[in-house]
Amino acid sequence: MSYRDATIAAPLARPLVTRRTRELLLGYAYLLPVAVCLGGTVLVPILKAIHMSLYNHVLIKPQEYRFIGLGNYARLLGDDVFWLTLWNSAWWVFGSVSLQFLGGFAAALLLHQAFAGRALVRTVTLLPWVIPGVVVALVWEYIYQPNYGILNDLLFRLGWLHERVAWLSDPRLAMPAVIMTNIWRGVPFFAIMLLAGLQAIPDELYEAARVDGASVTQRFWHVTLPLLRPIIVVATATRIIWTFNYADLIFVMTSGGPANATQITSTYTLLQAYSNLDFGYAATLSVVLLLIMLAFTIAYLRVTRGVESVA
Amino acid sequence: MTGRRAGRADLAERVLGGPVLWGGLALLTLFAIGPFVWVFLSSFKTRAELYATPLVYLPKQITLANYVDAWTSSLTPFSRFFANSLWVSSVTMVATTVISILAGYALARFRFVGRDVFLLVFLATQMFPAVLLIAPLLSQWYALGLIDTYQALIYSNFSFTVPFTVWMLVGYFESIPRELEESAMIDGCGRLGALLRIVLPLAAPGVAATAIFAFVSSWSELLFAITFTTQTEMRTLSAGLLYMVGQYEIQWGQLSAGVMISTVPVAVLFTFLQRHLIRGLTAGALKG
Repeated sequence: MSYRDATIAAPLARPLVTRRTRELLLGYAYLLPVAVCLGGTVLVPILKAIHMSLYNHVLIKPQEYRFIGLGNYARLLGDDVFWLTLWNSAWWVFGSVSLQFLGGFAAALLLHQAFAGRALVRTVTLLPWVIPGVVVALVWEYIYQPNYGILNDLLFRLGWLHERVAWLSDPRLAMPAVIMTNIWRGVPFFAIMLLAGLQAIPDELYEAARVDGASVTQRFWHVTLPLLRPIIVVATATRIIWTFNYADLIFVMTSGGPANATQITSTYTLLQAYSNLDFGYAATLSVVLLLIMLAFTIAYLRVTRGVESVA
Repeated sequence: MTGRRAGRADLAERVLGGPVLWGGLALLTLFAIGPFVWVFLSSFKTRAELYATPLVYLPKQITLANYVDAWTSSLTPFSRFFANSLWVSSVTMVATTVISILAGYALARFRFVGRDVFLLVFLATQMFPAVLLIAPLLSQWYALGLIDTYQALIYSNFSFTVPFTVWMLVGYFESIPRELEESAMIDGCGRLGALLRIVLPLAAPGVAATAIFAFVSSWSELLFAITFTTQTEMRTLSAGLLYMVGQYEIQWGQLSAGVMISTVPVAVLFTFLQRHLIRGLTAGALKG
């Protein structure tokens, strides 16, 4: 019989592990599934991509498989198409995100008003954002179709066009055409985010501004915009990163053509993997994409931290 | 922006509330669903009407032939693609939800070493390009003998669903007062019991948003689906649509039908559950 067993008001037997340790272990146990799942589908593949990028690895030429160190990276520096894709990516991101933002802001201001049938209009206008990317791409390919596309037909009827335009195969028009498609898809994202932001602004602020004699435009500049600033920053940064990575639309609509006019870095990576089966070079491109994204992410985290302290 | 009762509305306000509002709404609605209406109409047209010049806008006689062809064709069996997409998206949805509830709860409630690192990893993972994962995952699934299986698609989908849903749920769980589950635990509930009985019912909108997000985004997934499947009968709707274009000269009638078949389920799901989805998504983003 130990001393503890003999006491009357004995505390419960001391657990093998302290409460603190138990909590710690339980926390890790809850994280185990997520760790396994992201380890296997994200972490290991990223390490593998870095590894692959150091090899000459073309699927149809297995006899040439060998370690080439930074050879693929050297090739990338001298690859004019790669530099062109970076330039195109910048246009793709800037054109898409700036106009998505403006359109989304206008939509959010409209949807914030009280009117009959608002719930229905909201749902309908947000639809382009949830439908599959390949569907968006094909719908617009059909609209842009030179012979039986509705865009040419409408412009004909309006008298604004006198000969058929091949929107997606004209090198000057292809990029604006795919950007337009991306805008259609992305406007709802900004509309949702900014609408949520608008609804979080207390009515009293508007009432107070009104009592002070502020006009509609003044209220917009001095109440709405400053209060929306945090969400504008977060939504725009998220969208920039996402658009830079997003390849589906262009991949389906033009595959980067004509003559690389719509080739962005992520579609170029896909092209290397699927058409040239050059997995070493595709891995190199994707690692470079990853590095650019990491730089963006670090900047993004700094900006959002800054925003959080302001908000 | 709010009620009009406070004093005289200035001219700008009256214009904004009237013509600009209604004109803007009409434009917005047309912009959002116009392209869809066009494809919807085309999916009921006969071949002659589809390729007529000048264009025929409204089909004179409605035909379902495009749907029947797309649904049953041996080249593009949409019935099979539909079943594949439904299975892959449903399993992804359930697994993602369970995994991210556990992880989100742990990150919201336990203070353990490495918590901040985990949170940062989830945020950063959302920003990785999907193309980065394609080549390495292909060789990984090939080595494991998972090419042309549902598992390869479902596991790969985790790479983009899970980081986002965990991030979203951490915010949701943090907004639920700790005291509620602490009192349940004093009453004899275990950690897991408190999570299941107290926290989850309160976090239901967030969990619903998580589930819809996982379903909708795996329904839309394209790149993994075309990379990790080689046989026609293993294609999902997205992959099936893409192959339809690649096969031969595009049959716009069948393609329009395929587009409608691929869209309707997510559109319906979204229409009924958009409130939850939007609240969940914006809660995640507002948190920053």
